[in-house]
Amino acid sequence: MIAKTDLRKEFELPALARWMLAVFGALATGGILLALVGANPIDAYIEMVQGTFGSMFDLSLVLTEMIPLVIIGLGLVIAFRARIWNIGAEGQFMFGALVGGAFALHVPIGSPFLAIPIVLVVGAASGALWGALVAVARVRWQVNEVISSLLLNYVALFIFAYAVRKPLRDPGGFQPTSERIPDQFVLADVPVDQIRVHIGIIFALLLVPLVSFLVNRSPFGLRATMFGMNPEAAQAAGVHTSRMTVRIMLLSGAFAGLAGIIQVMGSELRLSNNMSTGFGFTAIVVALISRLRPIGVVVAAALLGALTLGGDVIQRTQQVPRVLTMVIQAIFVLFLLLADRRKDR
Amino acid sequence: MDWSSVFGGAALIPLLNAAIRLAIPTGLAAVGESFCQRAGVLNLSLEGMMLSGALTSYLGAYYSGSLWVGVPAGIGGGLLVGVLMALFTLQFKTEQVINGIVLVLLAQAGTSFTFEKLFGDLTLTGRFEPMGNWKIPGLASIPGVGTVLFDQSPLVYLSVVLIWGIWYLLNRTTFGLAVRAVGDKPAAADAAGISVYRTRWLAILISGAMAGLGGVVLVIGQLGMFMQNVTAGRGWVAIALVIFGRWRPLRVMAGALLFGLTDAIQLRIQAASGGIESDVPFELFQAMPYLVTIAVVVFASARARKSGEPEALGRPFFKGAQI
Repeated sequence: MIAKTDLRKEFELPALARWMLAVFGALATGGILLALVGANPIDAYIEMVQGTFGSMFDLSLVLTEMIPLVIIGLGLVIAFRARIWNIGAEGQFMFGALVGGAFALHVPIGSPFLAIPIVLVVGAASGALWGALVAVARVRWQVNEVISSLLLNYVALFIFAYAVRKPLRDPGGFQPTSERIPDQFVLADVPVDQIRVHIGIIFALLLVPLVSFLVNRSPFGLRATMFGMNPEAAQAAGVHTSRMTVRIMLLSGAFAGLAGIIQVMGSELRLSNNMSTGFGFTAIVVALISRLRPIGVVVAAALLGALTLGGDVIQRTQQVPRVLTMVIQAIFVLFLLLADRRKDR
Repeated sequence: MDWSSVFGGAALIPLLNAAIRLAIPTGLAAVGESFCQRAGVLNLSLEGMMLSGALTSYLGAYYSGSLWVGVPAGIGGGLLVGVLMALFTLQFKTEQVINGIVLVLLAQAGTSFTFEKLFGDLTLTGRFEPMGNWKIPGLASIPGVGTVLFDQSPLVYLSVVLIWGIWYLLNRTTFGLAVRAVGDKPAAADAAGISVYRTRWLAILISGAMAGLGGVVLVIGQLGMFMQNVTAGRGWVAIALVIFGRWRPLRVMAGALLFGLTDAIQLRIQAASGGIESDVPFELFQAMPYLVTIAVVVFASARARKSGEPEALGRPFFKGAQI
């Protein structure tokens, strides 16, 4: 028994090889699905790559798509490391966008140097508040965070829908959306030729080393990881578990809220019901395939951002529903789970 | 807005009738989930099971032309996700929570993909008339109660029998005893000769079949159509109701009735509010079923003197491992 275990361990592939294997498995399964619905898989994948990395314009779209995925994904890495399964990022994103956006629409601040940081803080704080509800329910009443965070998504979405239909409605618009936010709240584009992406990408990338330090090097990160591995042992070692849960959900929610308000200030410029294409859920996949590593979040967000936009391309050229790419994402995670499962059991 | 159309005397009987009808899909899924959790498996793929069952029952009924064909088809759809959940959780032993969440995402994407490919878009294509009600002779003519309870779709009666059946299976049979043993003390159950894996496999499949049937009742019994994410979080509500009902099938079903009532009230307010220009904040009422669910879970958890949670819930079992 023991000998067998050792043998299997020796043959374990390095982490990167297992990750590549999972990518390959997911793309191969996607290829089979493409063939099943009568498309040409090879052509489809070539078109997807060309349509996402083929020109500076397309690349800009991928970078823009990455911004919310990276920011939310980083927040989820913090939570998932502690094995706090926050699947309410979608609601935290929308709540951050709503409160931050309402602030930008109604509070007159003249200078962008003041306006932008204040609204970013408001958005992040609102997301944190929405996340904290989940933490309070868990530490005070032992309510499983998966359930409460998911159900709160619906609550946030309906509050958002009401807000843009009534109090924040642009009276001149046909669709229920808010008015455009004033210019001083709009995030500029990065000053790079040919690349059209707003400076949210810089915020997102700056957060990566910060989160990396937080989860890998800081005492807080160490305690959070301990808490994730064994809550009882962590408590015995002096970790204040309820305070830990609240802090982690505040952080995780703040990241999602920040992503929401950045999406409003950089891309949407107004509040509308369909401003999220499910970023909060895609970010769960991002965090999982990053293997909970901040640098991995950037790679995963680039991959999934490109995949999502590639879905639009093959919908046009191959008449394949774009949602196929979300099937591929889910299958990717399943393959990665398989590849990464501990062989010594 | 005319509030008497929501809460008025004449509206009360139809409201209660609708509450029962609306409670059934969530109730079936929730009762099945309580059974599965009693075996120690935290099955978070429930929403995916319901959604998959909703699609396959729709396809079965649409292509066969018979609503009854949709029933086994939908159960099969729920079982399909159940097999995946069992494979990953029991065979491959990957993290249960993640398996469940990812399978929901897979089912959401997979059902949308299939439906869109077959029907072109995700709007209202191929509607059919949902299954009509069967009035139970005699009983249905009892004033009030008769209309509420005995003027329902045959699928509702079938569901009630099955929900009672799950209670019976769990509490009155040796298999139920094995399920409870495996959920509380898997090592002891194993030592007593019960196969932990086999029992948990069956529990997950039962939960898949029940959730799939929940999708059937939604599509064949109520809507007569499929659309993207048609289950709208009912699977998640169902998991919450398991906590509310302290893992006891009949209490869980009582929670589902409360959810059904809230949903029925909410739908009426929405219908009476008069659409997009209405001053009534109907969206806030749409959020009500989810808010009420969270509230009752918090209430039940805060009040519970003993948790009632299966001791080994969510923990994988390794045969022969040191305890």
